[in-house]
Amino acid sequence: MHGFARYADIRLILSGGAVSAILLMALLAPWIAPHEPNDQDLLSILMPPVFAGGSAEHLLGTDSLGRDILSRLIHGARTAMTVAIFASCGAMLLGSVLACIAGYFGGRIDWAISRMVEIWLSFPPVVLSMLLIVGLGIGTDKVILAIILVDWTRFCRVLRTEVQVTRRQDYVAYARLAGFSHGRIILREVLPGVLPMIVTLFSLQMGISVVVEAILSFVSMGVPADVPAWGQMIADARIDIYSAPWGLALPILMIFVTVLSFNALGDSLNRVLDPRSSARRPV
Amino acid sequence: MKQQNVLEISGLDVSLPTGDRILSGVDLAIGGGRILGVIGESGAGKSMIGACIADTLPDALAVSAGSIEFDGLPLGSMTRATRRDLLGRDIGFIPQEPMTALNPALTIGQQFGSHLARIGFRWPKERKERTIQLLEDVHLPRSRELLSHYPHQLSGGMLQRVLIAMAFASNPKLVVADEPTTALDVTIQARVAELIARMVETHGASVLFITHDLCLAADLCDEVAVLYAGRIVESGAAETIIGSPAHPYSRCLSLATPTLSGPPRPLLTLPGTMPSALERSVMAGCELAPRCPVAEMRCHTDKPLLASTTTGHRSACHFPERVSAIQAPAEEPQAAAREPGPDVVLRAEGLAKTYIARDWIGRMRRVEALRGLDFEVREGEFVGVVGESGSGKSTLTKLILGLEDVTTGRLDAAGFAGSDRSAATLRALRAQVQLVFQDPQSALNPRRSIGSLVTQSLEVRAERPSRAARSAIARDLLAKVLLPPDVIDRFPDQLSGGQKQRVNIARALCSNPRLLVADEIVSGLDVSVQAQILELLKALREEAAISLLLISHDLAVVRHICDRTVVMFRGEIVEQGPVEEVFGNPRHDYTRALVAAAQGGTSLRKTMSQSQ
Repeated sequence: MHGFARYADIRLILSGGAVSAILLMALLAPWIAPHEPNDQDLLSILMPPVFAGGSAEHLLGTDSLGRDILSRLIHGARTAMTVAIFASCGAMLLGSVLACIAGYFGGRIDWAISRMVEIWLSFPPVVLSMLLIVGLGIGTDKVILAIILVDWTRFCRVLRTEVQVTRRQDYVAYARLAGFSHGRIILREVLPGVLPMIVTLFSLQMGISVVVEAILSFVSMGVPADVPAWGQMIADARIDIYSAPWGLALPILMIFVTVLSFNALGDSLNRVLDPRSSARRPV
Repeated sequence: MKQQNVLEISGLDVSLPTGDRILSGVDLAIGGGRILGVIGESGAGKSMIGACIADTLPDALAVSAGSIEFDGLPLGSMTRATRRDLLGRDIGFIPQEPMTALNPALTIGQQFGSHLARIGFRWPKERKERTIQLLEDVHLPRSRELLSHYPHQLSGGMLQRVLIAMAFASNPKLVVADEPTTALDVTIQARVAELIARMVETHGASVLFITHDLCLAADLCDEVAVLYAGRIVESGAAETIIGSPAHPYSRCLSLATPTLSGPPRPLLTLPGTMPSALERSVMAGCELAPRCPVAEMRCHTDKPLLASTTTGHRSACHFPERVSAIQAPAEEPQAAAREPGPDVVLRAEGLAKTYIARDWIGRMRRVEALRGLDFEVREGEFVGVVGESGSGKSTLTKLILGLEDVTTGRLDAAGFAGSDRSAATLRALRAQVQLVFQDPQSALNPRRSIGSLVTQSLEVRAERPSRAARSAIARDLLAKVLLPPDVIDRFPDQLSGGQKQRVNIARALCSNPRLLVADEIVSGLDVSVQAQILELLKALREEAAISLLLISHDLAVVRHICDRTVVMFRGEIVEQGPVEEVFGNPRHDYTRALVAAAQGGTSLRKTMSQSQ
């Protein structure tokens, strides 16, 4: 029991640390990046990283236009995190509100919202977001909107069930008897019970948003071309995959690490915040 | 003549990985054709004994010492395969929850058939005949038709019969029954217990009967072992343990159980709760010592071991001779002679409730949930509503609280007639009439502190009292239900079941109600905790001058605290009157059946009333 708890804490610390590092990197990008991400140095293109024989001038080498990969990675993190945070918040708000309404009131409202979610889910998510981008046009805000419109269903579906379970508890019935209004019951009695699930889903959604943003940027349907993004870097480095594999590997590694940390954080938060595990805490 | 024992457990220890023991030094022996009862409250570790035999201990637990010998063969040293072979063939099991023990996707016939195939019936035709015969043995009507039924089409009682038939199908030497009657309705409980006894006679099996119900164990078992905090504190013949126990715990348990016969008496309440496995490992003395009414210094420092008191009777107590001195507290004289006040708090006249159900092609069907109810509850009066599931008890609760509209008739609760449905009236009504929920686990929001829970109903008042005033009110309410003031900042998870039920009651008292509606509030609790809550309710009557409508299936509980009782059957009141009259001299057939079922343990109740 004790060993298990410590294990969960280590995971939480590691994933939390990685996530904070990525967020900090995104926040301080203009100050910590050694070069401007879009500055081209056509005399030194496709340089390998310093540990593979490159120069100290470009620590992680340069791409086909001689842009510094490290700076682009750091600025890419800024793009990825902007999109992930806003998109996840939006999806969370939209999904949670609808889930609370559907799960709490039930009946026809629940029927309508659930059917809507099902119809939404029957579209392949990536194709749907590409369709949206085609309609909306290219831009960071459009990417955020597209992710919100695609991924709110994830929150809605999972939370609706949780709300339904909480709704059936006697303490909700008691609050009704005591004369609480519906809004108050949702806020004071139901929401605190499902909050751990919201936090967990939010963390997972961050990872998913990063992937979707990368996919959209990869097919040049994401952020504008002058904004550095990981997906774009992968797309650019694709042609030189044999001569300069690092340009491809590094952004992929960044995406991998980011998504892994957010997923691990979600997992360990779930374990720590789960009321069933806190019920076992010593008296 | 001493026969070889079918099951012999000696020095069995079950421990957590930390070394804290769930069971310590358990010795049990069952002779051929005998029924051994293991009695204990929740947390005593009684189900772990069954789990050790079945090899289904939870992952974190392990047998750390001792041995289990079945028919002379040590179970611990067998290979997994041999042991599995033994289970179900030579050792049968009757589970606690018959509803979840069968696969809902397969018919009774298929499941019974595959069990028979496992124990060696090769031909389908032979299996079918044998199944029908076995189902007839357990008195299931139309057993041939039952084969094609699915579990959900059968009632809990019928499913338990099917499982009993399966357990005895292979003529096992031993049957382990873990609380087989707990999940069933009262009238069925007695019949299922009787059936087990008869099956034992015809099949000659031995039974390990695990239960929390003292009366049931006394009625059914030959020998009884009482388990407390993972140790056997007393063992011996069933009559002696119930009639003249030699351990304070057994004595306290029987004095804490309300009875249906004999003179009414207050219940003995054991203070505190059973120590957990972690607390036990640091206790030097007897585990019961902090709660024991006859404990001395020596009990706190020196652990008593099981020792013979008389032939075949063993007790783990330093002072077995003092046990008979433990008496229930004397009845307070003014309490016995109290009269209900003149005001009527709740009056129903010709009350009826009809639901209209529509099936899938829109045909209407009227379901009469309640018909022509006439009864009243006066000020300071405790009224018990008795009936089985489906008798309309919960519909009645909903009507009283204004959650549903009255179809016809009049319902007058605390001066509010059922016709006015405005929000303000309902709020005023619910301040006067409070519901105490059955399950405190679900009724208390785990994310609110106890202080905020008990004063929850103040949050909707127009003029909300200040934080300081609320915490003063909370402390006051907690004192009323005898909880220490320091629980105010704790959360429900940190309290025991009995404490949670007290918080539940305290919350209902917050608005100074005139009537409490209590739906089965003690049915999920252990005997000693139940006694605490019942005595608390009695004390509240003196202090807070409330009326109580207690909905319960347990006649003894109703008899213990109520003045009058209302017996409901299929939505109608079949009998009502003072408790002693109704239960002592039941007029309606249904009441008679209820009383007879509850008095299943007549032999026991006789000895118990003699012992006082």
